[in-house]
Amino acid sequence: MKNRIKVYRAMHDLTQEALANNLGVTRQTILAIEKGKYDPSLELAFKIARYFGASIEEIFIYDEPV
Amino acid sequence: MLKIIYSGCTMKRNTFYLLAGIVALAEVGIFWLSVRLENPIPIQVAFVLGVILLYLARRRVEETIEDERTAMITQKAALRTLEASWVIFFVLSLGSAVIAFSRPLGLRPPHPEPHEVFPTEALELPVFGGFAIFQMTLLCLMIFLYVGFRVYYARKYGEWDTDEEQD
Repeated sequence: MKNRIKVYRAMHDLTQEALANNLGVTRQTILAIEKGKYDPSLELAFKIARYFGASIEEIFIYDEPV
Repeated sequence: MLKIIYSGCTMKRNTFYLLAGIVALAEVGIFWLSVRLENPIPIQVAFVLGVILLYLARRRVEETIEDERTAMITQKAALRTLEASWVIFFVLSLGSAVIAFSRPLGLRPPHPEPHEVFPTEALELPVFGGFAIFQMTLLCLMIFLYVGFRVYYARKYGEWDTDEEQD
């Protein structure tokens, strides 16, 4: 699953550390999500979307497996 | 009073890791003290106290050190360790069962004078010590397996990845 967290972070001028602290997760988790190594839970995905004032679909893009 | 001090006390993540290292060193020292005193009570009590201390200290860490990703890594590593341990324990138990049933009906043949040939005092302690070492070996194997699986899943889920924001 791809995502646009890095873009939204840049738009809000946020570091990974700051975003992680605001969401109550570790910085490594934000990094892993950005790199596509970890897919967040639905709860964390909603938290991220609400934090940026966007919908989940705007931040996370689901790729159909080929 | 102790509760007030405890509830007002927070610590940083690195302080917690430092405390964990100090506790581990203290446990090693107390282990050797127990061996010298020939008394298992000090290390047993110290180990339980150490675990409780680290549990309480971990709750006081102000930064987030555990979230859903780390919980998932822990769960996956624990599950794989359990699966591998189950196989190892079963294999060892099968070996023990084969040895036991190699004798007629699994029973030892009666010995005419067992006390003269196998004095109880001479046998009990080494046998017990050997069993303890066997248990410790299995426990260490489980710990190594857990650490191995944890490292594997931590790498898989980006625990040590770096990027441009890395200090």
